[in-house]
Amino acid sequence: MVTVDRTRGYRVFRVVNAIILTGVVVVTVYPFVNIVARSLSDEFAIRAGKVNLVPVGFTFRTYEFVASDPTFWTNYRNTVVYTVVATAIAMVMTTCYAYVLSKKHLKGRTFLIGIAVFTMFFSGGLIPNYILISSLGLKDSIWAIVLPNAVSVFNLLVMKAFFEGLPTELEEAAAIDGMSTYGILLRIVLPLSKAVLATMVLFYAVSFWNSWFAAFLYMSQNDLFPVTVYLRNLIAGATTGTSVGADATDMTVATNIKSVTMVLTVIPILVVYPFVQRYFVKGVMLGAVKG
Amino acid sequence: MYEINRRQAMVAVGAFLALAACSSDGDSGGKKSGDGFAANRDGAMADYGVGTQFKATAPLSFSILYNNHPFYPIKNDWLFWSELKKRTNVTLQPNVVPLSDYENKRSLLIGAGDAPMIIPKTYPGQETPFVASGAVLPVSDYLDLMPNFKEKVAKWNLQPDLDTLRQADGRFYVLPGLHEDYWVDYTMAVRADVLDKLGLEIPQTWDDVHTVLKAIKEEHPDSYPFSDRWGTVSTPGGALMNYLGTGYGAPWGWGYTNGVMWDPTAQKFAYVGAMDQFKQALQFLNTLVTEKLLDPESFTQQDDQAIQKLVSGKSFAISTNAQTLVNEYRPPLKKADPKARLIKIPVPIGPLGPIKAGSNTTRLENGVMISKKARDSKNFVAMMQFIDWLWYSDEGQVFAKWGVEGTTYTKDSSGKFQLAKDVDFVGLNPGAPKHLQKDFGFSNGVFAYGGSTELLQSTFSDEEIEFQKTMNARKALPVAPPHPLTDEEREQASLYETPLKDHVSQNMLNFILGKRSFDEWDAYVKELEAKNVSSYMNLVNGAYERYKKEHG
Repeated sequence: MVTVDRTRGYRVFRVVNAIILTGVVVVTVYPFVNIVARSLSDEFAIRAGKVNLVPVGFTFRTYEFVASDPTFWTNYRNTVVYTVVATAIAMVMTTCYAYVLSKKHLKGRTFLIGIAVFTMFFSGGLIPNYILISSLGLKDSIWAIVLPNAVSVFNLLVMKAFFEGLPTELEEAAAIDGMSTYGILLRIVLPLSKAVLATMVLFYAVSFWNSWFAAFLYMSQNDLFPVTVYLRNLIAGATTGTSVGADATDMTVATNIKSVTMVLTVIPILVVYPFVQRYFVKGVMLGAVKG
Repeated sequence: MYEINRRQAMVAVGAFLALAACSSDGDSGGKKSGDGFAANRDGAMADYGVGTQFKATAPLSFSILYNNHPFYPIKNDWLFWSELKKRTNVTLQPNVVPLSDYENKRSLLIGAGDAPMIIPKTYPGQETPFVASGAVLPVSDYLDLMPNFKEKVAKWNLQPDLDTLRQADGRFYVLPGLHEDYWVDYTMAVRADVLDKLGLEIPQTWDDVHTVLKAIKEEHPDSYPFSDRWGTVSTPGGALMNYLGTGYGAPWGWGYTNGVMWDPTAQKFAYVGAMDQFKQALQFLNTLVTEKLLDPESFTQQDDQAIQKLVSGKSFAISTNAQTLVNEYRPPLKKADPKARLIKIPVPIGPLGPIKAGSNTTRLENGVMISKKARDSKNFVAMMQFIDWLWYSDEGQVFAKWGVEGTTYTKDSSGKFQLAKDVDFVGLNPGAPKHLQKDFGFSNGVFAYGGSTELLQSTFSDEEIEFQKTMNARKALPVAPPHPLTDEEREQASLYETPLKDHVSQNMLNFILGKRSFDEWDAYVKELEAKNVSSYMNLVNGAYERYKKEHG
């Protein structure tokens, strides 16, 4: 490998860069470590403000306590199911749409793009959406969550740009060899698009994992909520409850319980990241450069 | 955060549009309760009255909006549901909404015309935006169906309180929870062990508080003796500005009621932020701050920070209520300093003398709204009887709060309630395997509130009952008369009100923290003038005059 010419300026840049990035890492990681430390600490130690980066009064009891709540696990399972199904549907829909849009010879292509882009700026509004979903009979079912958000326009455009960047000659050659349109998409285009597919899966999965609003709107049973709603109620609910000076017999939920729930909710998506990450930069960049 | 705000805005806009769309048919339910109920009596009892156990003549079910509390998340196998079915023949179908976003979902459901029949947990005032839509029932027209409600209003003389709920059309749209007496809960907690050591008495008035804090400061010069909590950017000093302000005759913080205060001598409303009493309250706090007795961070810091200062001995006084004292302050304090003794003092007396100054300036609690569409249900009468029994009858209230005698509680010969041995609630039976709220569904904020003083205090500790005795001996402030605004006026009023509120809250802090001198008070009042405080007060007083003329 050719070594980069190490000018003075470059070395200064590297040092400054390292310092700034270390700062960014500390700022990002610190709250997380703090939450983990809290989740392993004794409640009194947290109240007294003693817990920072290292657990005080180390205990797993809070984990046992949260894990013994069946609602938590029901909601957790819901999140997993919603995320998997929603991501699968979203990937199929987005890939097909984007592939079609990437073909310059398609008639009405501008119109199709226009329809998609229009929804980036305008929406029907909350109540019309709610009425639509309930008249379609989707309320209180998984479809209310996975269908309305199946195509994210941003992801669609990134994917379209990626497909446009693939050499048309490849597809032409495949066509000459007698491959059908679907054959080309499935056997030629998609295997070449692993980077963008991985990125899109990650984008979708993270956003579905984190989303709570759709479930909050369309679900009316406790055992249908995803864990994000559970978590939000635990954190926001308990704090707003006291801040309006509400009924004093309502209790707040202990800080360590909140921390444990946060840790448990974040872990799975955190574990996925390193595996998909190597495709990540490549995928987004490819789309962006050509777009 | 931005996302949520935008969504909230969308809810608001959507609700507004929906209201506009259906306001044309708002008069369909306008008929006064004659006997228009022939078609609505299915399942109702013919001889329902005070003291009767409500039991539907046929199995019924009603939909209800359910505010799901994270501390006791809803369970379908709660004894509450099965026992309710057994006693009343009614099954409730809850539409479960997380407490964190209850109000948003409520607006959405009402706006989309998809609201359940029974909409509880609605605080007085929150029903106002839905009135014009005609989506909620003017319950005041149907009180004849609710004998227990009427009886409690008469017995406890709540009519003036109830009148404050009336809208411009003279009706009210929410069935509030009813308290027999004012319930003062928020006050100051101080370290009694420190007072003892310094030979100080428990402070009775705000001047005493000043003296006591000064003495503590001399002993602990590097501390701020009083570091308060419950401050946020939107309501700085929520609790303190309420109980201190009320004592001076000018409540702010959580005591903020559209910024207006009824002046019984002048027989009109005045704007709190411009009142002389408000100035005096701020001057008092300013003295505390200048003498370094009150932590300047009190109005903005996080609750946790304030608690940490208290626990680590950097402060000795903080705002409290009965529950936070027992749950949040004492256990960590005990651990940090076994000799520490933190007590809840009777609310210090201000210039107004001994009054019931606290978080509740009214005896009304949050209550129940009813969807207009319920009026057309064939079970309407039964539903009203059911609501009347569960929320307003003595038996219903005991059931919702304490549960089933013999299972969750026992009652001794003197009528004193006692939790069953294996059931815990608000720390009364620590270590018991089951919990009254979590495992049985009783004392649930959706169903159990209000009621007689005896019932309210049945779960209080002796120390808290002592506090209540002291407070109840004081006199209550007169209830402000109704002054309902019309829709247009309300819109105009909120345009005046919001900038005024911001300006007052901001300057309140400036005056207290000494960033602005009291020499500038007149200039400050002029600034309020420039922000239309007079027009606002004319609007409110005009509404009061009009209501008085039209409805007596």
